[in-house]
Parts: sequence; C-alpha cells; structure tokens
Amino acid sequence: MNEDRPTVADLPTVADLPTVADDQTAARVDRPARRAPTGAAGSFQPRIVGFLCNWCSYAGADLAGTSRTPYAASVRVIRVMCSARIDPTFVLKALAEGADGVLICGCHPGDCHYSEGNYKTMRRYPLLKRMLADLGIEDARVRLEWVSASEGQRFADLVDDMTQRLRALGPSRIKTALATDHAER
Amino acid sequence: MDQPRIGVYVCACGTNIAKVVDCDAVVRAAEGLPGVAVATTYKYMCSTPGQEMIVADIEEKKLDRVVVASCSPRMHELTFRKAVKKASMNQYYLQMANIREHCSWVHGDGVEATQKAIGLVRAAVKRVAFHEPLESRMVAMCPNTLVLGGGIAGLTAALELADAGYQVYLVEKADHLGGNLARVDLTAPHLDSARDLLRERIHRVMGHPHVEPFLGAEVQSLEGYVGNFTATVAVPGGNGAGPAAAEGDDGPTDGGGATRSPRTLEVGSVIVATGYREFDASRITHFGYGKLPNVITSFEFERMVREGRIETVEGRQPQYVAILHCVGSRSQEFHAYCSRVCCMTALKYAHELKSAVPGCYVSDVYIDMHAFGKGCEDFYRRSSEVKTLFLMYGKNDYPVIRKAEPGDDCGMLIEVSEQLSGELIEIPADLVILMVGMEAREDSAEVARLVGISQDKDGWFIESHPKLDPVATTTEGVFIAGTCAAPKDIPDSVAQARAAAARILGKIARGSIEVDAVFAEIDEEACSGCRICNELCPYSAIEYKADEKRSRVISALCKACGACVAACPSGAIRARHFTDEQIFAEIVGVLA
Repeated sequence: MNEDRPTVADLPTVADLPTVADDQTAARVDRPARRAPTGAAGSFQPRIVGFLCNWCSYAGADLAGTSRTPYAASVRVIRVMCSARIDPTFVLKALAEGADGVLICGCHPGDCHYSEGNYKTMRRYPLLKRMLADLGIEDARVRLEWVSASEGQRFADLVDDMTQRLRALGPSRIKTALATDHAER
Repeated sequence: MDQPRIGVYVCACGTNIAKVVDCDAVVRAAEGLPGVAVATTYKYMCSTPGQEMIVADIEEKKLDRVVVASCSPRMHELTFRKAVKKASMNQYYLQMANIREHCSWVHGDGVEATQKAIGLVRAAVKRVAFHEPLESRMVAMCPNTLVLGGGIAGLTAALELADAGYQVYLVEKADHLGGNLARVDLTAPHLDSARDLLRERIHRVMGHPHVEPFLGAEVQSLEGYVGNFTATVAVPGGNGAGPAAAEGDDGPTDGGGATRSPRTLEVGSVIVATGYREFDASRITHFGYGKLPNVITSFEFERMVREGRIETVEGRQPQYVAILHCVGSRSQEFHAYCSRVCCMTALKYAHELKSAVPGCYVSDVYIDMHAFGKGCEDFYRRSSEVKTLFLMYGKNDYPVIRKAEPGDDCGMLIEVSEQLSGELIEIPADLVILMVGMEAREDSAEVARLVGISQDKDGWFIESHPKLDPVATTTEGVFIAGTCAAPKDIPDSVAQARAAAARILGKIARGSIEVDAVFAEIDEEACSGCRICNELCPYSAIEYKADEKRSRVISALCKACGACVAACPSGAIRARHFTDEQIFAEIVGVLA
C-alpha cells in the first residue's frame, strides 16, 4: 500500500469532495485520462443514486469497468433485478436522504430479460415525474435511460452528462428542507 | 433484530482495486460501522486462501453476515455464496460491494474512488443486516436439449449429448445441415476436406436414435427456466425432418416449407449455435465488387474450387490472382474486430490456386498476417515457399482496383501503397478474391430476445465470462457455441460445442438443479385482492384465489423481476432478497 494514501481521517466528507485538486489526478499517470466532469477544483460533485437492472444496465456498467471507460465518481449503483422493481418510493427515499440525482437504467424497450418489465417502468415513470414536478423538484434530478449490456460507453457518458447537469443545477436542498420542516413541526 | 455480526472482506484484486482504492482505508471505515465484527483486506478474496479466511472467520468469530467488497456480483457472487455455505452459513447472508468494475476500474482519482468504495461497502453492510436466510429450491432437470443451428458447432454438440444417451432436438433454419462450413472446400491449415468433416456428422445426426432434427424450422418461443424449458418450434409440413438432408450446396437457404405447424418440446437446456453470416462486400465501394465482374468474394471462390473450375467470368483460366485480406474486418468504417479465419483461408487459396492453375501468379495483399493457432505459422511459412507475393497495405489505406488498359496482359490492376517498402506498387490481376469477414447474423437480435441472452456492440452473443465461462450465458441453462459468440475457426467452434455439451451433461448427471430462492411472496393478510399484480406478471405466476379474494405467487413460476412488488398498492408483496427494507438500507448506506 502506498504511503501517500489518505487515511479515513484525511478523506474529505462528501460535502468537501469538490475540492480535490487537479494535480492529485495528474499525478496518477497509470490511470486512464479522466474527462472533465469529476472533481475539478471548486466545482460541486453531485451524488447520484443509480438504480440499475441486473441483466442489461448493471452488466453495461460492469462493461464500462472491464473496458476501463472512465466516468465521474458521482454515481453509486444499487442493483435490482428489473427496472420494474424500482418502486417510486426508492426514488423519493434517495432524494430525501440527500441524493442530488437519481438515475434509473433498464434494458432497451423490447430487450427486457423479463419480456416487458421496462415497459412497466416506462409507464410508471411519467407519473413519478409529474409528482416530482408538483413537489418542485427539478426535472434534471431524476432520469430514466436505457442501457444495454454492451453499452458501457453509453453508461459512462450518461453519468458524465447527468453529473454536469446536476453540477449546473447545484446541490439538492430536499434533505435540508425536510429537516427544517421536521424541526418546525 | 439482534445486532448482527458482520465480516467485511475487502479484496485488493492484486493491484486491480488496490492501485486506486485505498483498501486499508476502506477496512478502517468498515470497522467503524455498526454490526461489523471483523474487517480485513486480502490480495485475492476469491482465491482458496481468501475463501478459507472467510470460512474460518465465520466459524471462529461467530459471524452471521458476510460482505465481500471486490468485483461485480455478476462475476463472483456464486463463488462467495459457496464459500459461506461451506461454513454452514445461509448463502443469502452474503452481500457484495462492487468496488472494481464500478469503482477502481472507472475512477482515476484515489481519494474519490476510496470515498466511493467506502460508500458502497457501507451500503452493503447496512443491507446485509436485513438479509434473511432463504432456502434454494431444487427442481427436476429435464435431460433433453434444444440445439439451435446445424453447422459444425450445432452438429458436434448434438452428437456429444446424443451419444451420452440423451435426447436432442436440433433446429436448423435452412433446409439442410452443415451451415457455412458446407460452403467450403478445403480447410486450413491441414488442407483436409470440409465435406469429410461434415458428412459423417450429418449422417450420424440424421440417423441417431436420440437426435430429432428439424430442417427449415424455427424456434418461435422459449418459456420456462433452467431444467424446465418449453420450446415451440415451427416445422414445415408438420413432420420432423424435412426432405432434403444432405449438406447444402451454396449458402444457407431458408427453408420455405409450405405450412408450418408448431411442435412443443420440453427441454432442460438450450445450445445456441446459430453461426455467422459473411460480410457483404458490396458495402465497400473501392474494391469494385458488383461492378468489376472478376472481383469475387471468398465464398464465391470456394464455390469455384468445389466445382473444379477456377476461371474468370470470360471463361479463361486466370494468370494473375490477387487475394485481398480484411474485407469488412479491422476497419473503422465496418467491423473493428478481426474475423480470425480469413488469413489462413487466404493462404489456403494460394495453395489451391498453385495446384489447380499451374503457373498462376498469386499476390496476397494483407494488413497483418494473423497466423495464430496450432500449425498456422508453419502453414504461413509453407505458403511463402509456393511463390506467393506478399504485399502489406495499411489499415484504412485501401488498395484501389481498376480495369486494365486494352494492351495489358491482365484484366485488372491493383494499386497498393505497400507498407514494408514504402512504395506504391501496381500488381496485375485477372481475378481478385475478397476475404470477407464474419458478422453477426441478421436474425441474431431476434434469437437473443427469444432465448433471453445479450449481444455485444457487434451483435455477437455475450458469454457469462469471456475467459472463465465462455460457453455459458447470463441466462442459466442457455449456452452459446461457435461463431454466434464471435468469429472463430473450426477447432475452436468444435471445442466450444463440446464444452457446452459437457456443461449440460454435468447438470443432467446431478438429476436436479438448484434454482435461486429469490422470488416474490404475497402477505395474504395485507392483500386486498385488487388483482393489479395478476395482470402485471409476465409469467402468469400469480393466481387469484376467488374464494378467499386473495392473490398468491406460484413460486416455481416466479422469476423475481419484482414488477408486482413495486405495483402493489397495499405493499403486500415482498421480493425476497430485494425487499424494500434491504434497498432502503442500501440507499441510506450509499448516501450516508
């Protein structure tokens, strides 16, 4: 293990993450070149919860790994068997717990491992989006995309794109708003 | 719930993870999490000592939950489930955190990657506390196998299984067996006859008591799960084998049976061996295919050789023949991959030409000579001894073919920007053979959907693991063999076919198979009998008990997608191993 590795105490809290300096990145010559979105000095690093179906999208994200396709370290993936398992409350829970964005990924229409699960997701999603809009939650915070098992690059691009959009939008205030709300009651 | 005793094992994966993620920092973070009794890191958790470490800890330190932070669960979840089982722990008390594919391999910044790895481990620790012991179900294994495709791979797999005494249904779309190999004359590098390789196999398949071949037939649907599939096959005329059974003449022609009546087959396993199709040379304009009549494809040349008449369209013996490699392969425009067999096939043509047309000048225009494989380098050396002119062209720097002037003693001239000499060289040709590459069949997406497997960006079927599990797929019980998975030569196709058959024989030998204990269940107390779930289930696995006004999941039919769980307005359906509590814990964990 390298001496210069940070200890837990040295690690920034998530809120501090944006301050990771660029030169730390540049020092790692053995890694693939990183693209713009992550950790640029002073920029905000959003936290995205990704709900990925096991058969297409999770495999696609795995492929991004095996192909060493770099993308922003903003996303944390939670595996579900099918995008149809994603209860709208999962999305709400993630936002309430402080996620700046939620990315839902499933198989492309017609390719669902369970024949039609993604169609159910597709139909449920607009209802959720309508509710989120009514709650005043910005459109860019929740996104549904199709990623196949061979689309590692697409997954990486999606994460980078969403990271950039969320960065433009700024941190979600849902968690603090909820806390204040609770405190007031 | 009592405080669980969780063991956290952080894999360094050699340097794959440790190069970016500070594994010690992850261990220290894990140690501080509630319920964690042991946290440690090791070079390779999946190795025998790594697994033994987990087993010993479970026994000695009385662990009741295990988190392994390593590669994707799609890679090693079964490995670690087996390990915890060895220590008499329920295998569903395991949770994995994917800190390789989703972390160290995609993030370059050590601080960020370590932070993310800690988040993923925290999520796994929080989740695993909610895990429940589940008992896997044992189901009967149907010993019959469905083989899709009657090329060399399909034939070989079918015979391997049938010779072991098990029933095989061989479904071939064309009206004859043999696949693409039936269109080939000799095979490289030993120059033995393709016909000889096929004839005996086709003969045996047609007469085998345990093989039922369906020619001109197509699978319409495949339902069920490993050990218990039901396939519907559309068969021309309704009888089993079609009339024409001999190896085909040219090109896989789709069987145009008049009336197709479906047959229902019960099978335990499926082997997909649907092969490839050749690249369409007319897609490349610079070679003049389709315009210059003496520019032909490799398969058209095979036909000439098989008919024993190598001649130009004018009916003359060619004095100059040029063989052009990598047509459709290794190009940015068409297919980036190498089709693997064309280089050796091109050398085979040089041999065939030299013996069939004495005095013929053969030029071999290639990008790189790929002579991997047993006997191939020798074959390359022997070919250079039969006076073949080898010229190297650059990738994406295509040779240009044009018609010769009336005074020239040849039909065409090829301009090659030769890489080794650095010169522009013009060579004569009466016949140009384009070595067309392999590509995924036009119906591959349909086949993939039908049997529930995935395709890569080029359309090839995706294996469970490219190195360690090359013939299995992510759908248990469905195997792939031969060129439907990627370009490969005959020995590799045959090896895969036999490997797939061996995998199936192993399952048959055990008699029954363990299927995941993960399925949905309905709390009948909470069920309001609204029947929303009934319609949602793609497998009709939810029955409605009218007398009790409650729905019930038929667990044997449930495939655990969870669509009903998310839809139940009463929250009465639980997805075992993917419960709301478990996923909420994970959400809290990644965001904490």
